Formats: sequence, structure tokens, C-alpha cells
Amino acid sequence: MIVVAHPTAPGTRILLVDDEESLRLTLAANLELEGFEVVEAASAEEALSMIDAQRFDLVLSDVRMPGVGGIELLRTLQKSRPDLPVVLMTAFTTEDSITRAIESGVFTVLHKPFDPYRQAATLRRAVRRPTVLVVDDCQKSAQAIAVALSERGIRAEAVSEGAQAIDAVRSRDVDVCVTDLVMPDMDGLEVCRELRALDPAISIIVCAATRAADRDDDALMQGAAALEDARYLRKPINEVELVRAIASVRSEVC
Amino acid sequence: MAEYIHQLIQHSPQPGAREAASRRRVDALFTERYRAMAVRYDRMFMWLLLAQWAASIVFALFFSPLAWAGRDSVLHSHVVAAVVVGFAITSLPVFMVIVYPGAQSTRYVTASAQVLWSALFIHLSGGRIETHFHVFASLGILAFYRDPKVFIPATILVAGDHFARGLYWPESVYGIANPEWWRFLEHAFWVVFADVFLVYNCVRSYRELREYCEQQVALEDATEAAAREATARIEKLAAIGQLAASVGHELRNPLAAIRNAHAFIGRRLAKEGELEPKVAQFMGLITRELDASTKIIGSLLDFARPQEAIRNPCPLRPLVSEAIGLVPPREGVTVINAIPEDLPIPDLDRDQFRQIFVNLIQNACEAVPAASNGRVTVSAQLSGQGALRVAVRDNGCGLSPDELSKIFQPLFSTKVKGTGLGLAIVASIVERHGGTIRVESTRGEGTVIEIDIPIVAASKAA
Repeated sequence: MIVVAHPTAPGTRILLVDDEESLRLTLAANLELEGFEVVEAASAEEALSMIDAQRFDLVLSDVRMPGVGGIELLRTLQKSRPDLPVVLMTAFTTEDSITRAIESGVFTVLHKPFDPYRQAATLRRAVRRPTVLVVDDCQKSAQAIAVALSERGIRAEAVSEGAQAIDAVRSRDVDVCVTDLVMPDMDGLEVCRELRALDPAISIIVCAATRAADRDDDALMQGAAALEDARYLRKPINEVELVRAIASVRSEVC
Repeated sequence: MAEYIHQLIQHSPQPGAREAASRRRVDALFTERYRAMAVRYDRMFMWLLLAQWAASIVFALFFSPLAWAGRDSVLHSHVVAAVVVGFAITSLPVFMVIVYPGAQSTRYVTASAQVLWSALFIHLSGGRIETHFHVFASLGILAFYRDPKVFIPATILVAGDHFARGLYWPESVYGIANPEWWRFLEHAFWVVFADVFLVYNCVRSYRELREYCEQQVALEDATEAAAREATARIEKLAAIGQLAASVGHELRNPLAAIRNAHAFIGRRLAKEGELEPKVAQFMGLITRELDASTKIIGSLLDFARPQEAIRNPCPLRPLVSEAIGLVPPREGVTVINAIPEDLPIPDLDRDQFRQIFVNLIQNACEAVPAASNGRVTVSAQLSGQGALRVAVRDNGCGLSPDELSKIFQPLFSTKVKGTGLGLAIVASIVERHGGTIRVESTRGEGTVIEIDIPIVAASKAA
């Protein structure tokens, strides 16, 4: 389905977890102006007990908190509530823990300070629990990548034909498309263009062959460069880098 | 934090103390070198003396009798003289060399022994002229010690020996029975003649050795001082870096809270309708200052905690467009993205390179004096061998040669405001991509910064 960027669906409830009171208060106020229902928790422990008591659509949590931290909260929730999306936020952008969080399949990490209105779009995206679409004409490769992503808690689906891809975007909620560029049976670039035409908000991650292998690849990549905001990864795909790229595009705001 | 500041302002030891220490080192070095040399020559003399002893016995056995023409040669006595007197002359110096090599007294003893050997050889050869040459040869060899004082015992013994034997046993030293009474003076004169030059040479050599030692120590001191300065500077920067990182991180939470509060107030005020001009202005001001603060913290952290470059294919032209969009426009300055559409796509860390472009474009814009026709051009081209050359050129005020040499140093800035870290960060990122950066500038005309990077990462990180 094609999703309109605004507004927030009524009744979308966010659990906001942060030990810093001023930050929590002001962020909650802003998110409420954006149409979210916000419930505050001052610690991860408090958050967990609230999750048991109420239904939430999203957990937005700080990473560094005394006691149980955001990463641990993420892990706990992934086990007990795999369907509950988690977005982390942090001031400490270079820490290993952030990398580990991303690799564990957190939806995305927001870097403080961030604009709450622009990132509201990111939160709405997370609430949708969208799918990552993996496009590769080799069914096995596409499947392998999709499975790897699912194991990390990221919803993913594999398709091996252009028509299937268009169909998936039309009928399911896809927010990221990971596509191979050079495919004998279809033009990866063409697929991307069509997907963008369908849903301008879709993020595209393009996989290119190793430079030595394909000179045509370069030309295709030039064309892909015309695709705004597309990301590039080199094959063979490094799983960790792919996960990082997905988390990164998901917090990107146009 | 107090610990850091204390370390930063710690003083180095007093200069007077350091000079005294240097002088002691010069003395120590000199003594060591001199002694090593003296030991070498002591050993040489030891072997020479022993060789002379052996030679004297051979000589006594085979030649002495022939020199004593006209007199009954008592073979026995010369050999005895060679063995016994030779032993007397040689034993003490050999002992001294073995037990006290390099000592001052050892060389005086060897010097004395050497000239006594001259005396004995002269006696054994019956005062033969040619044997007297051994005296002068010995004096020359003694000069090896570079100690003028060795000539004192040597000269006294030679003169004394010639005088005494001249009086009581003239055949032994002059080969004739009735030499003139002043003959010894003639010998002494030539010895002194040789002495003068040899002593002069010794004194000179001695002084030169000392000067050499002083130079060595001075060189060591200079190197050490330079190294100390470099280390101190690195430590200082590291301490500042840690401080900056810690502070930077801590500041982000308060900044986020302020920003959120401001955003909320802004939204609520917007609902109130037309705002009083100053209110609107100040709301905008808060936004700008918050952005500036965020950037400063970002710079500090980028500098203090550089991140490894994660390189993926990244087309330059759109990236530069993005960067241009992030740089606040400056009146009178046009920024041109002249990167060709068909440029090969390099492997870069996108966020880091965007930072590079933002920093460089911002610097270039600020270099243009207010209200003039400023042009900033960002271009790129292939530079052969799988590398790209990216250039940011401006027609601003340019840099002086002095500024040029310091421009990549952290905390150096030609601007009144600013952290002085921008270019240091750029250089650091370029380095992490395996590239090089270069700047050319002419005062009053403009500056161009060129970055060369390999298109493909040297090795792909796992």
C-alpha cells in the first residue's frame, strides 16, 4: 500500500523512555503536537512494567540510562515482543553499543539533538513496521539476504522479478528496497525508477558488483546516481553493512 | 578535569639545572672516549715494549759483540743486560696496563719505559747513531696518547740518561770515549724541538676531542628537546581531545532538551497568529545558535574521536549538492558544483566526505571578503592510476605562506571565530581514506584545496 507521509494515525501510542527529565518532557510535548499519544517512563524497568499494562505502537528509548540501558531493553523486547518496533536515541554516536544495537536490528538510531518534527516522520515509519524488499534475479541470493535480515528482527521479503517487486510495493508496506543493479532479465535501474514513481518515499539501496568484474556496472551506477538519495553497497554484500545502511536510511528525512 | 588542566600547565625543569646536567654529560662522554683511546694505546705500548724486549735479546745475542769493535765483547753481559734490564724496564708497565688500563699513571709509566728502551737499545748498539732515532720515533708514538704530560717523564729521562751516561759511560751512549761535555745538550735540544711540535699537537687534539664531545651532547640535547616538545604537544592535544569528547557528549542532552522546548514554543506561538517582530527574530536566533552549538560540538567530537571510514560507492555530484545545501549562503558568493556527471564513482564514507565538503565550502565562502563577487567552485577529475582529484577553489582573500604552513594544524585558524579544527578534521578524514590533501594560495587572489583519493578502497574491511 502506498502510505502518505502525514499525518499520524490517531491513537498511535509511543512509550518514551529517558532518564533525563527535561529532555523527556520537551520531547513528549513535541510529539504530542505531532499527533502521537505519549506515555513517559523514566527508566527501562518502568518501561517494561508499562508495556505489560498497556498496548504501545512504538518504544522510543534513550541508550544511556542508569540501571538497565536502552540496548538491554531492546534485547528484552526483541525476545518478548518481537512485533513492537523500537527506536533508540543517543548523544553518544560513536559508541560500540550503538553499532551493536544497529546490528541487533533496532529500527533506527536517532542522534541527539534531533528535530522532533522531522523525525516524527521516522517514528511514523517505524510504527508501520514496514518491510525491506530484497530484489535479486537469483532467487537464492535474495532469499538468503531476506532470511539474514529476518533473523536480526528486520522484516524482509525476497523477490526475483521486476513485476513481483512492483506488486509487493503496491500490496504490502515496503519502505526500503535493496536491489541488485545488474540483472540479466530485468533492468535494476528501471525497477528502481518505477518503484520511486509509485512511492517517492521509498529508500533505495543499490548493490553493485565488485569494480573489477563489470564495467557496465559503472555506467549503470551513473544512471542510478540520478536516483536521489540512493545508497550503494558493493557485492558481495556484507550483512552488517547492509543492516547499517537500512538503519541509516530509515532515519533519513527528506 | 582538574587533573587534565594540571597536566597541561606543568612546567619543565629549570634551565640552569639542565645546563649543569649537560656539562656533566660532556665530561662523562669525554672521559669515556679518552679512556677508551688511552686503553687502546696502553695495550699497543704493552706489546711494543714486550716486542722490544724480545728484539733486544735477539740483538744482544747476535749483534752487540760486533758493535764493540776494539774492545773485548763480553757476550754474556749484553744478553744479561737485555734480559735483566729489559725485564726491569718492561715488567712494571705491562703490569700497569693489565691492571690499570687507561689510567694516567699507566701512560706515564709506559712513556718512561719506552724511552728507557731507547736508552737500552743505544747501549746495546754501542751508541750507534741510527739507534738514537728510536728516541724520536718513541716521542712520535707517545703523541698518540694526546696527553702532553707524557712528554715530561719521557724528556726528563732521555735528557737525564744522556747526561749521566755521557759523564760516566760515554761509549754506551755516544759510541766514542771523549765526547764534548755539552753533547747531551745537543741531543736534548733535538728532543725538545720534537717535543714542542708534539706537545702542541697533543694539546690541539685533546681540545678537539673535548669540542667533539660538546657537540655530541648539544646535538643529543637538541634532539631530545625536540622530541620532548613533540610528545608534550601530542599529549596536550590528546588531553584536550578527551576533555572535548567528554564535554561534547555531555552537552548534547541539554542541547536536545533546549531544542525540543524551543520547537514546542515555536509551534504554539505559530498558532497565536502574527508574532511581535522581536519574538519572531529571537525564535530564529535561538535556532541558529543551537545549530552553531551543535556544529561546534560535532567538530570537537569529530576531531577527538575520529571514526573509521566505511567506504561504499558514493557519487560525488549529488553529495556535493547536498553539502552546498547545508552551508549557510553568504551574500555575494556563488557556489558552483562543477563535478562532471560521468565521473567514475569512488568508494567513500558518505557522511565523512559530506563533512569534508561542508567544511571546505564553508571556509571558501568565508574567505571571500564581504560584498564582493565571490566564486567558489567544486570540481573533480580523474588523476590517473585509479585516483580522483577533487578541488575546491575560491577567489577570496588567500593565505600568506606562514598561514599556509600551519593551516592543517589543529586549533589554528585564520578566522576570529571558529574552533580551528575544520581543516584538521578534513585532513584526518582524507588520510583515513588513503588520500592526500594539498593547498595552494596567493594572497589577495584566492585559494585552491586539492584532495587526491584512490577510487577504490585499498582493501575491503570485513
